[in-house]
Amino acid sequence: MEQKLRQEAKALLEHKKVDWIIGFAPGSLKFTATPLITNDKDDTERLVINPFMVNNLADFLTGLEGRVGIVAKGCDSRSIISLIQDNKLAREDVVILAVPCPGLIDLAKVERLVGKYRDELDDISRDGDKVTVTADGQKKEFTASQVLFDHCLACELPTPQEYDILLSEPRPPAPELETSGQNKAKLKETPPAERWRFWKNELSRCIRCYACRNVCPACFCQRCFVEETEPQWLMPIPRWQDNLNFQIIRNIHVAGRCTDCGECERVCPVNIPLRSLTREMYDIVGELFKFKSGMDREAQPLMVHYEQEEAEDSFR
Amino acid sequence: MANKKVSKKDIASLLEQWRQQFAVFAPSRESGVAAFAEWDGKDVSFLDWYRNTVVPPKASFLPPMEEMFRFEKGTEGYNIKPRPEEENKRLLFGVRPCDARAIAIVDMTFKDAYQDPYYLSKRNNTLLVGLSCTNPCESCFCTSMGTGPAESADVDLMLVDIGDEFLIEEVTDKGKELTRDLKEATEEDEAKAEQSKKAAYDRVTRKLNTEGIKDRLLASFDDQGFWEKTAAKCISCGICTLLCPTCYCFDISDEMVKQEGTRFRSWDSCGFPNYTKMPMENPRQEKWRRVRQKVCHKYEFYPMTFDVVACTGCGRCVRLCPVNWDITQVIESVPDKTGVNK
Repeated sequence: MEQKLRQEAKALLEHKKVDWIIGFAPGSLKFTATPLITNDKDDTERLVINPFMVNNLADFLTGLEGRVGIVAKGCDSRSIISLIQDNKLAREDVVILAVPCPGLIDLAKVERLVGKYRDELDDISRDGDKVTVTADGQKKEFTASQVLFDHCLACELPTPQEYDILLSEPRPPAPELETSGQNKAKLKETPPAERWRFWKNELSRCIRCYACRNVCPACFCQRCFVEETEPQWLMPIPRWQDNLNFQIIRNIHVAGRCTDCGECERVCPVNIPLRSLTREMYDIVGELFKFKSGMDREAQPLMVHYEQEEAEDSFR
Repeated sequence: MANKKVSKKDIASLLEQWRQQFAVFAPSRESGVAAFAEWDGKDVSFLDWYRNTVVPPKASFLPPMEEMFRFEKGTEGYNIKPRPEEENKRLLFGVRPCDARAIAIVDMTFKDAYQDPYYLSKRNNTLLVGLSCTNPCESCFCTSMGTGPAESADVDLMLVDIGDEFLIEEVTDKGKELTRDLKEATEEDEAKAEQSKKAAYDRVTRKLNTEGIKDRLLASFDDQGFWEKTAAKCISCGICTLLCPTCYCFDISDEMVKQEGTRFRSWDSCGFPNYTKMPMENPRQEKWRRVRQKVCHKYEFYPMTFDVVACTGCGRCVRLCPVNWDITQVIESVPDKTGVNK
């Protein structure tokens, strides 16, 4: 698959079919991959496909001029389609190199299961549903569902629906999806007062680095309400009330665009379980409007579209 | 002069003893992220931590947000209500050498021509007790940055792991007063400490050659192509700066409710476009200019001002970056154009 990707990407640049290639190169740390954004055909030799290519590359699309060839997992493809739906991108300006994705390995889960930091691990390898972790010469085996990211366990689209080049056999979604993740399921059963305390505590440690917003392909605004000063919607200080407002407003702003790619939660340096908020919104959008973002290029974006038969209880 | 020592199982009682005199802070995960927090009187699990805290101890002196003062709008202008002086004596326990070095580097700015009262009122009341690293991470490169996993230069006391015990190096007089009741280390302990230090030093495998970096950056300042390529994958978040132990930029903002107001200061980042936003213009609107600023501030401007690189190799930015933008790779890739314009 990697060889094919390199050939295709190189050909796209050589034949001037695209100006840029966005893909993954080997990361500088063990078990990482890093986004590669290049217009140099020799760089395509560094393209890789592995279970650690965690970034949603669609995030880089709106910052580039010209046509772009982009390596896309199913989740990335949904963000690309969502951008096309919102007129942020023209379909003909993007060449989708589709990677059927078996799910990405969450190193934090591996660390918890093995009881060691990633630095101490020698190898993580995957064969079908079996993931083998080697540390100190000892091998430990896990099932994929134990070590994949929560959002991967909920993945509805492992293979992009919309693509130009398919890099391997398509993969269907898993027969049973685990949509909620531990936290969200637990929160649902928690009384409101306690839930309030939970979020107050979680959001107290937000440092307002805005990584959650900046990795989000759905957060494409050139001016964000957070930074507006007239009027000033939020104080630019990491006070928990302001942090909470920031997250709630951001979540509402991406309703109907969020594809549950899980990037916001993954990048949070202070471990705020942001997907518990975004997935809840994703489910509400699905339930009320029967809408799933990034699934259908022809569908109207949720928030610019109204149909009379839309349930009145949408307004509640 | 002999060093002191303490058994690992006696650390809790030692901290308890110090707690009579100081507010003791130590690494904790209680808040949901590894950071320094007031010691709870029992938890010393941080002694076994492999990795450094996510939030660096600079937060103890320059917190993510703090009140500077309050004010009230009166009939004849504003009445300022200064914040009470910090009088609390504090002790930070378990500071890693890279972070202690970073505090010394940030001190240079806040103790310079302008003496920053908010920072110094906390800093001057605080003792630092260092803890050596035995297992440096893959992302650590402290040994290339003028410090090392057991370097004691920037703390009051330094604890070096020697198995079931710590050897304690008394670095300052203030530190020495804290260890009066402790046993003296034997020659054998000293030998073990040397061995432990060397082993840790050898485990730092990431290296960074900073020779001539100041001049290389100066010569490459206008190489837009290089900076654009370097900045391509950066998402302009604030992780690498806000959580950098040597980054000290802050923003100031006022909040008024009716006639009463509060002035805050809070962490800010040169990675944010708004950082340099002015009426009519933003000199760092483009991402590559902001990335250049971040790199040059640490490796060019700080050395020009204070003769030291403002990076201690703690590796946080490497570990935490959402896109694996790695400062060591960037520094290595700065083109050498120093001979070009001569």
